[in-house]
Amino acid sequence: MAAPALLTVKPRARRRLKPSLVAGLVIIGAFVLMALFPQVIAPYSPTAFDYQAVLQGPTAKHLFGTDNFGRDVFSRVVWGAQLDMQIALFTTLFPFLFGTLIGALTGYYGRWADAIFGRVVDIVVTFPFLVLVIAIVAVLGPGLKNMYIAVSAVGWITYGRLIRAEIRGQKRAEYALAGQVMGYTPARIIFRHLLPNAITPAIVYWMTDMALGILLGSSLGYLGLGAQPPTAEWGVLIADGKNFLATAWWISTFPGLAITLAGVGFSLLGDGLADLLRPRG
Amino acid sequence: MSQTILRVEGLSKVFPVSYSVVERVQGRPRRAVRALTEVNLEVRRGETLGIVGESGCGKSTLARCLVRLYDVDSGRIVYDGLEVSGLRGAALRQYNRRVQMVFQDPFSSLNPRMTVGQTLREAILVHRLRKPEQVPGRIRELLELVGLPADAENRLPHEFSGGQRQRIGIARALSVEPETLIADELVSALDVSVQAQVVNLLLKLQEQLHLTVLFVAHDLRLVRHLSHRVAVMYLGRIVELAETERLFTAPAHPYTQALLRAAPELDPSRKSVVEAVKGELPSPLNPPTGCPFHPRCPQAFERCSKEVPALLPRGPEGRWVACHLLEATP
Amino acid sequence: MSEPILKLNNLCTVFHTARGRFTAVDGVNLELFPGEVLGLVGESGSGKSVTLRSILRLVRPPGRVSGEVRWRGRNLLSLSEPQMRQVRGGEISMIFQEPMTALNPVLPVGEQIAETLREHTELSGNALRQRAIELLELVGIPSPKERLRDYPHQFSGGMRQRVMIAIALASNPKLLLADEPTTALDVTIQDQILKLLLRLKDTLGMSVILVTHDLGVVAQTCERVAVMYAGRIVEVAPAAELFAQPRHAYTLGLLNSVPGAGSTRRPLIPIPGAPPDLTALPPGCSFAPRCAFATDECTAQRPPLMDISGPESPAVRLTACIHHDALSAAGEVTR
Repeated sequence: MAAPALLTVKPRARRRLKPSLVAGLVIIGAFVLMALFPQVIAPYSPTAFDYQAVLQGPTAKHLFGTDNFGRDVFSRVVWGAQLDMQIALFTTLFPFLFGTLIGALTGYYGRWADAIFGRVVDIVVTFPFLVLVIAIVAVLGPGLKNMYIAVSAVGWITYGRLIRAEIRGQKRAEYALAGQVMGYTPARIIFRHLLPNAITPAIVYWMTDMALGILLGSSLGYLGLGAQPPTAEWGVLIADGKNFLATAWWISTFPGLAITLAGVGFSLLGDGLADLLRPRG
Repeated sequence: MSQTILRVEGLSKVFPVSYSVVERVQGRPRRAVRALTEVNLEVRRGETLGIVGESGCGKSTLARCLVRLYDVDSGRIVYDGLEVSGLRGAALRQYNRRVQMVFQDPFSSLNPRMTVGQTLREAILVHRLRKPEQVPGRIRELLELVGLPADAENRLPHEFSGGQRQRIGIARALSVEPETLIADELVSALDVSVQAQVVNLLLKLQEQLHLTVLFVAHDLRLVRHLSHRVAVMYLGRIVELAETERLFTAPAHPYTQALLRAAPELDPSRKSVVEAVKGELPSPLNPPTGCPFHPRCPQAFERCSKEVPALLPRGPEGRWVACHLLEATP
Repeated sequence: MSEPILKLNNLCTVFHTARGRFTAVDGVNLELFPGEVLGLVGESGSGKSVTLRSILRLVRPPGRVSGEVRWRGRNLLSLSEPQMRQVRGGEISMIFQEPMTALNPVLPVGEQIAETLREHTELSGNALRQRAIELLELVGIPSPKERLRDYPHQFSGGMRQRVMIAIALASNPKLLLADEPTTALDVTIQDQILKLLLRLKDTLGMSVILVTHDLGVVAQTCERVAVMYAGRIVEVAPAAELFAQPRHAYTLGLLNSVPGAGSTRRPLIPIPGAPPDLTALPPGCSFAPRCAFATDECTAQRPPLMDISGPESPAVRLTACIHHDALSAAGEVTR
């Protein structure tokens, strides 16, 4: 018997890029460029004192003005981008990877693995995140490395919960059952079939989390528990300017704006990615 | 034809219902859904066995136990001399290669992020059925076998219609060269005109590949059309099993009779105004004692509410019925 | 035959979506007579459910309904919203496929029946309660007095559908619109509900439009049938005549693709291809690309619904198939 005629396939639908994705890419792209090539973009050294030009307001020469040591605020914000982008990545990369792994395994196997994970989650969520991180940093001592350790120790929980919930939903879908009947190993079913269909919320959250990571890094920098002066880090920059808020607003304001803009950029990126990664159908 | 390939003996499956703290404190007994109770069944090599019944009868649970998506609580499943119910790991995966399943939902049964080609390639390579350089040819062969255009290979599931997706599901099952195919409500999500296309495909494939098929469905017309023999299930038990035409022309169990009467016929001149059977399907959480059908059965007598009738051979033509009424006339 | 109580004139329902404009209901003309059960059959996307919803103006934006719905001398499409609310659930009631989503899960069913009674009748107090019990009894719910206080989830699927019918009947409607009322039910329960509907129709003197995809259900319940394909009515006939001798190629194909008794394990005769995309309908007859009888004439222009009632047949037969004569010669139903 011949195959029935007219077995045509639906035409492919074109998908347009969402404006939020484009805007997010532009903003974060700009910060990444600053982070990669600060020496090209920044007109001055971030640490060079210039006592001839102390506490100057924004001018053509010093776009964001200068601080009390005559350092160029624009250059410090640009160099700060390098450190803050690094903070955004390093505070979230390990939690993302580890949380995804744990979430996938507990979500798929359930039972005792799930029960243990559930208790760990219960314990961690009873402490306020920031307090817990500060406590860990207080024990380990201030500095960027210890901050990464502290944030990673706590941050993976959120990814774990997100992925676990998604996997629990996906594993009941018939394609997952089909994988079992096809004689695939659990590892193949989890990582090749379930995870690509479950990871979108975690990726979207990751973007938001990078914004939170910058905020956290800046907060700890401001409190003196993260990056140490004179390193150019946005939180440290804000702290530098806090005594001059009334007389030289620009010292704190521009790094503050940079933090805000980075936060908005990551949020837009997350929003746009959510749309892009949604399976079509 | 008459050689038994799959034998099910006393298969039972219970799903525990979540047991809340309140229920525990109140001292209520833990409840459970008795999905399958003491099911016995033999499937012959090369036949199509239809399994039919209403919701909660256990037909899908039975199908899923047979491919070991569910673990069995008690009883045995013997496939071609191999005890299946305790298989694990690699041995289970090897068994699954031989006994495949096609699922009901054309939308969720395919991984939405894998193209048709990727789906088939994976199955072929995992079981090392072809050398990597032979895979593209085999994929083309499979697509042609199920009647899909060759350019389907590089497309994602969402680009296909429901009927085409079921063809992809069939191609995936066939890619591992199984001997037995279990089709759980294969066409029930499809439109009537498309159902016929898939039914024809199944008929063709079975002849061509000498498959043994378990066709699980609620649609009596389809089951009648496709099956050599039919098993009727009610509330976790098989109540009747017979050659298809015998079962449909002369049903023996009162439930089978009711089911056939209730199924709407295509002939408007044969209308009836009385209900085929009264009452509701009992909850599998709380099945009736004795024969599961006795509360709805017009011919029930005292013994029916006390004693579960066994599935016993009735007559010379290989008919099995579980009904006390027939015990007097063997 | 008497005057029709419902008349659809050139009913169109158009949806404007991001994917483009599509016409779900495309110029439907249909008459319904008092006391009859009319079946509206078709496959998914044929527009049968949208037609039903359009009658009661239950189509939400981006859908727009145009044309005329003549109901007892008024055009429902030009009524104000308050007037329409009197018709909806009053003179015309509707029941749905999934009662669980149509019933309010947090209200006892007695309260939901009472709500409709208060809206559409003068009853109150004890009389109202009495009427609610009567209605539950009418639809065959055992111990109705006790069950008034129960919530929808405490009923089985079949019983829930009975509750929904009771609510629909509370206002003594003259027309019941039933949208796949038994599709979600098991076959023995479907049988009970269909028989119940037929009994109620006779005792209460209603007309019924039954939307379904199941040809068996149509054969067993409907007196007259309208077949829909891609938003258009392609054939209208008394049920007995339609099943004996379809006069549209699509109807014939549909009947042939259903397995019949005694043809065990023989290939079926499917309709090739799949229903068309409503945003890109083929020119002329929408069925032509899948049709074995199609000629150039079929794709040249859209065939109108023609009256082909013979002198011997008192009932009206309509078809939108140019080749309706060839059908009776070439393609008997192969059952």
